Amino acid sequence: MQSVFDRRRINGPEDSSAPIFADEHQKSLTPDLYKDRHNRSVSDIRPIFLQPGLISQANGSAYIETDRTKIACSVYGPRQSKNTAYNEKGRLNVEVKFTPFSSERRRAPLRDAEDRSIAVAIQQALLSSVRLEHFPKSTIDIFLVIIEADGIEGCVASGSIAASTALADAGIDMYGLVTSCTAAIIGEDIWVDPTQEECDMANGTLILSCMPALGIVTNVWQSGRMAISQVSACLDACDGRCTDIHSVVAQALLNSARSKV
Amino acid sequence: MDTVLSSATPSATDVNSFLSAAEKEALKAATFQRLHPQIYLERFLEEKIRPDGRSIADDENEDTHAWRNVEVNVGSITTTSGSALVRLGNTTVVCGVKAEICEPELDNSDEGFLVPNVDLPALCSPKFKTGPPTEEAQVLSERLNEVLGNGMIPLSSLCIYPGKSAWVLYVDATVINYDGNVFDAALLAMVCALKNVSLPHAEFNPELNRTICTRPKSDSSKPARKLIIEEDLVPLSFSFGVFAGSYLLPDPTASEESLLDTTISIILNTRARILALSQLGTGVDKSEAPGQGVADISHTREADTLARCISLAKKRQAVIMKKVYDT
Repeated sequence: MQSVFDRRRINGPEDSSAPIFADEHQKSLTPDLYKDRHNRSVSDIRPIFLQPGLISQANGSAYIETDRTKIACSVYGPRQSKNTAYNEKGRLNVEVKFTPFSSERRRAPLRDAEDRSIAVAIQQALLSSVRLEHFPKSTIDIFLVIIEADGIEGCVASGSIAASTALADAGIDMYGLVTSCTAAIIGEDIWVDPTQEECDMANGTLILSCMPALGIVTNVWQSGRMAISQVSACLDACDGRCTDIHSVVAQALLNSARSKV
Repeated sequence: MDTVLSSATPSATDVNSFLSAAEKEALKAATFQRLHPQIYLERFLEEKIRPDGRSIADDENEDTHAWRNVEVNVGSITTTSGSALVRLGNTTVVCGVKAEICEPELDNSDEGFLVPNVDLPALCSPKFKTGPPTEEAQVLSERLNEVLGNGMIPLSSLCIYPGKSAWVLYVDATVINYDGNVFDAALLAMVCALKNVSLPHAEFNPELNRTICTRPKSDSSKPARKLIIEEDLVPLSFSFGVFAGSYLLPDPTASEESLLDTTISIILNTRARILALSQLGTGVDKSEAPGQGVADISHTREADTLARCISLAKKRQAVIMKKVYDT
C-alpha cells in the first residue's frame, strides 16, 4: 500500500504491503461454505448484540456487534444547520468512517468512495422513518465508526440497525424503527445474513431496509445477477428476519430505558 | 389584545409542570453548568468534591477515589494482529495493530517501524467535526509517538532480513467516547494492544526477493511469536489537571478539562520509575501569600505539586499494573 505523506499524522515507511502467506494459493477456489456456516441454517441470521446509550457525550448512541461486524453509532441533534438557507424540513446527515484496522487489508485513514456509498445507503434507509418536518432549520448528524467489518452488505445492514437504535435513544421523533437484513443468492439457494466470503461467492446480493411495525419498505439495494423471482424470494426471506430483528431492537431499547430510571 | 398575547407566550411552569422536584433541580443545575461552568466547578471544589462524585487530591483526602474505574479488554478484533479496548470511566478508546511488511530504511537497515496514530472522530464528542486530524489529534499522536518510541519495542526485533525486509506495526487508536484524559486511555490501549500482538513466522527468500509468512495453523514448526518487549520501558501514564492554580484534579473529565489551566502527565514504567514528565499549560499559581518572596513561594509550590503528582501516580500505578498484567 503506497502511503501518501500526510503531515498531519505520524507516517510510516513510504511503501508497505500486507503479509503474503505461504498457503494462500492452496486455498481452494470454492471454499466449503456449508462447513464454515456452522450451526446456522441458510435462513438464520447471526445473533445480534445491541447496546444503546454507550457514548455519553452524544445525544443518542448505539453499539452493534454480530459475529465479526462491530459498529459504533452516535447521534447529535437536532442541532443548528451549518448552511444558513432556510429549510422547512430538517436534514439528516449520515457519515461513516472505517478504522484502519477494520478489514483484512489496512485502510488508509483518508475517506474514499466506499465510506460514501455506505453512508448514502444508510441515509436512504432512515430518511423515511424520521419525522423531519418537526425539526425545521436543524440537522440531525449520525456518525458511524466501523470497528470491524465483515463485508459491505453486512456493514450497511448492521449500520442502519445501529443508527435507528441511536435515533430512538436520542429521543428523535420517528414513525418507526428501521431494521435491515441481507440475503445472497449462492447457487440456487437464498442465504440470509451472509458473511464476506459468502457474499464474494454469491451471484447477487440484496439488502432490505424496512419498518416492520408499519410494514413499509424504506430501501432496497440489490447488486449482482438475480432472476426476478429470486428477488421476490429474497425480499420475503429478509422481511421475516427484519421482524425478528425489530423485536431485538425494541427489547434492547426497553432494557436501556429501564436501567436509566 | 392582552388575552391573545398572554395565551401566546408560554409560561415557565408549562414546560416544567410534568417534571418532578428532583428533575427540576437537576435541570437548574445543568443550565447553571452550561452558563457558568467555571463557577459551577468552583462550588463543588470548595466542598472538596468533584462534579462526578470523586474526591480531589488533597492532603486530608483518601486519594484512591480520585481516579475513575479502568476496564481493559484485549484481542476481540479478528482483523488485527493485536487489539485492545480501554474504558477509563466514560472515555472509551479502541486500538488495533496491523502488521505489514516493508523495506527498512537505508541508514537503519536492521530496524522495523512503529507507527502510532490517534483518531478523534466526530462520533466521540460534539466538539469534533469530520475532516483531517485536528490540532488536538495531532498533538496526541505526536506525544504518543514520543512515549512509545522510547524503546518499549526494540525496532531491531522487527527486522526480518537486514536491508531487505522488516515489519511495520501500524498502531491505530480510535476514540469512541471522549470524556477527558484521552492521553492516558490511548496510551494504555496502545500498550495493551502491543502486548496482545502475535506476529506470524516470516522468512525472506533472497532468490525470489520476497517475504513469505506462514499461518500458525498450517505449519506448527513455524509458530507465531509475540513481540519482544522491554519490560522496563513499558509506559503507563497518569495525568492531572490543575484548576485555578490551586486544585489538583487527577484524571480530569471532559467538562473539567476545558476549565483547566495546566495538565501534568507523569509516565512511569512497570517498576514505578519515572520515564517521562510533561506539563502543558501555565503552571501553578504563583501568587500565594502577599509580602513573602513570590518567586520562592512559587518555586516551592510548583515543586510540591509535582512531587504530589508523582507520589499519587505511583500509588495508582500499583492498581493499574494488576489490570494490564492480568489481561
